[in-house]
Amino acid sequence: MIMFNTLLKKLMHRADDSKDVAKKRLKFALVYDKLEIKDDMLEDLQKDLIEVISRYFEIDRSQLLLDIERGEGSSALILNTPILSARHKNAPQRVPANR
Amino acid sequence: MDGKIIVVTSGKGGVGKTTVTASIGAALALQGKRVAVIDMDIGLRNLDVVMGLENRIVFNVVDVIQGRCKLKQAMIKDRRIDNLFLLPASQSDDKNVIKPENMTWLCNKLRKEFDFTFLDCPAGIEQGFKNAIEAADEAVVVCMPEVSSIRDADRVIGLLYSRSITPKLIVNRIIPKMVARGDMLSHKDVVEVLSIDLLGLVEMDEAVVISSNTGTPIVMQKESKAGMAFNRIAMRLDGHPDLPIEDPLAQKSIWKKLGIKMGRKKGAA
Ligand SMILES: Nc1ncnc2c1ncn2[C@@H]1O[C@H](COP(=O)(O)OP(=O)(O)OP(=O)(O)O)[C@@H](O)[C@H]1O
Ligand SMILES: [Mg+2]
Repeated sequence: MIMFNTLLKKLMHRADDSKDVAKKRLKFALVYDKLEIKDDMLEDLQKDLIEVISRYFEIDRSQLLLDIERGEGSSALILNTPILSARHKNAPQRVPANR
Repeated sequence: MDGKIIVVTSGKGGVGKTTVTASIGAALALQGKRVAVIDMDIGLRNLDVVMGLENRIVFNVVDVIQGRCKLKQAMIKDRRIDNLFLLPASQSDDKNVIKPENMTWLCNKLRKEFDFTFLDCPAGIEQGFKNAIEAADEAVVVCMPEVSSIRDADRVIGLLYSRSITPKLIVNRIIPKMVARGDMLSHKDVVEVLSIDLLGLVEMDEAVVISSNTGTPIVMQKESKAGMAFNRIAMRLDGHPDLPIEDPLAQKSIWKKLGIKMGRKKGAA
């Protein structure tokens, strides 16, 4: 009976079994749970990123946006910043941190 | 003697920690080991009733830690199974009366007396959990094939890793016909999601409820699937780590036969 049901389901191309839904949701929840970061960590990351990017580009620091975006099946770290100009390619100069 | 301290934990409540602790403890004692089971659920003790030892409690784990009695005085000896001892929880205190360093002291004593000590952890990840894992050498994580239980198990596994303990998993309360229908996660799904080593699989079994009604160890019931599963888990913990884990679904009849055969062997030992 069980076998027959399973077979029938396969033949009928039924949508995901409820356990498949559970598995997908779980996998995502576990990734997302671990992505939960403290605010000060995100702030530190932002400072570090500004420093690195500034070696290559002139950017508008006040406009820089850093966020974690939750999408279908994955999460992404999104960095958004307007570029004012590129620095000289061959000599990426070190920008003092206090600039 | 230098015995092992094994914590049984889950994060989520009601998934079978106490059942697992009582059953594996009894199974190992029946296999000839000296076993202690400690109820770490201070304030909400239950291991005593599940084991049928509730009316023999005089002292408890808090009494031992606070020096009101000797460890020996507080350990209750099971009269049906040789070499099985229970250290009950206190029912009137709360979890914060025990500090992690108390556990280190207690477990060092237990290591000298017993081959295996099982700590029945309370649900949650607060003080009670922290106390229970403090002095553990190994950990068994129990979960059910269900979303919230697995998510909580993942959290607990992470916390154990951060204490350099690599836990093993027991999937409890499996309902094979729901797995076959695609309405319950299979143990393979669970293992894939949690990426952890499997220690054993236990089916949903009415015999568990019946044995907890009467306070008789389920592993003494040779016809019970769950009882036989616990017996095999005990063997895996005691020198037979490669004893095959049978799929409760695919090879049901063979699984059952194998279970009964092993049950007999243990009955004779
Ligand atoms: N394999 C099983 N088949 C049927 N019933 C089970 C099984 N395992 C556990 N149970 C039942 O589930 C209930 C909860 O089990 P148990 O008390 O062992 O969980 P717990 O994790 O210790 O709970 P808590 O978090 O409250 O301490 C009990 O009534 C028990 O009899
Ligand atoms: Mg319990």
